Amino acid sequence: MMQDVKINSYQFLVLVIFFTVGTTMLTIPSVIAVGAKQDAWVSTIFGTVIGLIVIWLFCTLAEWFPQLTFIQIIDKLCGKWIGKLVSLLFVSMPFLYTSILLNYSGTFLNIHAMPSTPIVALNILMGIVIVMGVRLGLETIARSAEILIVVFFVLFLILVVFISPEIKFENIQPIYEAGTKKIVQSSLNFVVTSTVNAVILLMIFPAFVNKTKQGKKSFLIGNLIGGIIIIIITFLSVAVLGTGNTTRQMYPVYELAKLINVGDFVQRIEALMATLWIIALYFKATLYFYASVLGIAQIFNLKDYRPLTLPLGMIAIALSLVIYPNVIYRQNWDSTTGNSLSILIGLFLPLLLVVVYAIRKKQLKKEA
Amino acid sequence: MLKSIGILLIAAIILWIEVPSLLEKKYKKELIVFSIFLAIGVGISMTIGFGKFMPNPLDLLTLVFKPLNDVVTLLFK
Repeated sequence: MMQDVKINSYQFLVLVIFFTVGTTMLTIPSVIAVGAKQDAWVSTIFGTVIGLIVIWLFCTLAEWFPQLTFIQIIDKLCGKWIGKLVSLLFVSMPFLYTSILLNYSGTFLNIHAMPSTPIVALNILMGIVIVMGVRLGLETIARSAEILIVVFFVLFLILVVFISPEIKFENIQPIYEAGTKKIVQSSLNFVVTSTVNAVILLMIFPAFVNKTKQGKKSFLIGNLIGGIIIIIITFLSVAVLGTGNTTRQMYPVYELAKLINVGDFVQRIEALMATLWIIALYFKATLYFYASVLGIAQIFNLKDYRPLTLPLGMIAIALSLVIYPNVIYRQNWDSTTGNSLSILIGLFLPLLLVVVYAIRKKQLKKEA
Repeated sequence: MLKSIGILLIAAIILWIEVPSLLEKKYKKELIVFSIFLAIGVGISMTIGFGKFMPNPLDLLTLVFKPLNDVVTLLFK
């Protein structure tokens, strides 16, 4: 039941793009602009390049173990008991991030779309759609991503084209004022959110993509395209809104959308632009949830992950209401513990596995 | 009061959706894991519904990760 799912490399490319753009699109420009000020877009360029190196690390790990998901790789490399422990640690990350993304979506919808609706209801709605997606399986998620990426790019093009008249080039000058060190430091949040977190895509990458070599290219190209989208968005944020505004706004891209005014005819289309973000967030949250449910099912050696989706969905929605008491806590946690957790599980764990593989290579070849 | 009835109703719906197919296929381990997670879910939802103190998992993580946080902040700020 779990192993007969196959997606092709184009579908994987689309999923990687959605994953990279996900939450990054809405909150990252403001976070980067705090450190790098008007050079935030230069920071995203550095971030994309660093990200590609991280993705290359994941691809190498994937190449050594085709047909296995990440949890199975951990199991194989670390032995039974340590493997289970490490897998439990690994699975906590995507599950926690599902709740975090549900919280982001609920807060955003509550502030900008439906202020009087209790956040519980908004989280439950988003949660039900996520659970539905995961129950229907990876192939369904991939096919709907193929369709929705077209919608995403059309809306994105509309945003970019209609906001371009408002670009003020004085806002991005002087270029490179912040210096290399500050710029690279500011890109940390971006690299962690879009690339290091992509370790969860290793749950679907070697195992469920039908050609591993093409899949590797898709992983890298998808991350690159996602990075380019973020570079464009950050550039537009800083050029149109200016540094001060970008830092102060919680959701700078939404503010950008509010400013679209073409001949007094195309105005107030920001709700349409919110669709852009809801789509990207939905796929990112679905991928996190799929990784955590599949991971838990494989830890317990279950034959099917589907029965677990509803209870785990309930826990995820319930947690999403508790985790961030207020926005200050959220911004603080995201830039400290959130980054540490992602780096531990997304960077140190794969590196550790690479080292273990190098040590145990001969032993594994003998067993096989 | 109303909230707890609502949560139990949702739990009952989840049971109604999942348990018949699990019993048919005789998936005993799946049934046990499913029940444990459903119980945890109902427990957490009830605690939140009644407004009682719910330990925040992020606080636990912050406690565990404090040394790593300090290193990362030092390196990257």
